[in-house]
Amino acid sequence: MSTRLSRTTLQLLGALAIAVAAVGCASDKTPATADVAVSRAAVDSATSSGAAELAPAELTSARDKMMKANQALAAKDYKAAKEWADLAAADAQLAQSKANTAKATSAANEVQQSVNAMRDELNRSNANQQQ
Amino acid sequence: MKKLTFIPAVFAVSLFMAACSSTPTTTSMLDRARGDYMAAQNNPSVAASAPLEFKAASDALNRANDAAAKNDSLEHIDQLAYIATQKIATAQQVAHQKAEEARIADAGRQRDEVRLQQRTQEADQAKAAADQARMQAVQAQNSAANAQAATADAQARAAALAAELADLQAKQTERGMVITLSDVLFNTDRAELSADGMSTARKLADVLTQNPERTVLIEGFTDSTGSAAHNLELSQRRAESVRAALVGMGVDASRVATKGYGEAYPVAANDTSGDRQLNRRVEIVLSQNGNPIAARR
Repeated sequence: MSTRLSRTTLQLLGALAIAVAAVGCASDKTPATADVAVSRAAVDSATSSGAAELAPAELTSARDKMMKANQALAAKDYKAAKEWADLAAADAQLAQSKANTAKATSAANEVQQSVNAMRDELNRSNANQQQ
Repeated sequence: MKKLTFIPAVFAVSLFMAACSSTPTTTSMLDRARGDYMAAQNNPSVAASAPLEFKAASDALNRANDAAAKNDSLEHIDQLAYIATQKIATAQQVAHQKAEEARIADAGRQRDEVRLQQRTQEADQAKAAADQARMQAVQAQNSAANAQAATADAQARAAALAAELADLQAKQTERGMVITLSDVLFNTDRAELSADGMSTARKLADVLTQNPERTVLIEGFTDSTGSAAHNLELSQRRAESVRAALVGMGVDASRVATKGYGEAYPVAANDTSGDRQLNRRVEIVLSQNGNPIAARR
């Protein structure tokens, strides 16, 4: 999970670095296909992490922006396509991290509850023994 | 520590941009991104737990600041500021996730610790149960030994009693053991015990002292010579005399009852002097098994 996240992050950073370099002097006609692909991967990753349930607002926002990026790409508006793709990727990454955090929280609560139950059992057993 | 290197970078870029542009632009979205970034900076766990995400957020904010310094379109500044905001939030989430994972690991350690305590407790309980069982076995052994000793003691006492009663020529009857003190143990027409009578009373007192659960009924009888009233009185006095002797030897008075019957219940005809002597007697009835002595029928 985290390796996929970091790989996605690295890819995004790479794409952003290229974009930053490009924005300085390159024209708006640079095909944004790579940016859109990276963002789609981020959205897919968030979805498989359960973001649809655990971070629905962020995931919906990411999907809406992906749709606009695709539309811009189809219209050969590469500048808009790249912008929408970057925005979508930011939303998707947040969606994924929120989902992962929610899962970790519930797992932590569960383990803690089981520890508490064991401790209660131990204390009860202790009390019985002392009777 | 790493975040400190970002600040000059952001600053330097801003200054560089400010040098060749007129008035720096800002938007509410960019202000919000800067505020969020400061909050993340003030939370040391963000840079520590999510360094990669925090660096990405830092870079994104730098780009938004650059765009503002260059007086880019407000729309573009907002886009970059939005991306920075989301990346800062992502860094916060990742830091939070790491904290929860640490909590899971800690709970796992706690669980191992509680399990160890459980095992220890189980072992302690098993040991306590074994100790208790051993103790109960010892107690059972002791009480068995005690019971055996008590039985042996009771048997010894019963044997001693039987021997003493045999010495007193006691006879087993329905009412209990009966010891007959013959006339010769009393002085003629007197109630006082003779020396032999006192010796017999001494033996009887010993029996009563060693068998405290037993009580006695002392019954006096005479022959038909003399008036009935005199005989009744004499039989009663003789019974009382035996009682006084026993009490004098340490037997509790409440354990000794007396009854004078005069010439009633003869054991022989009153026609010869030998038979009359048999009738002049005192009978001592010992209670048995803690039951009261049945009245004479």
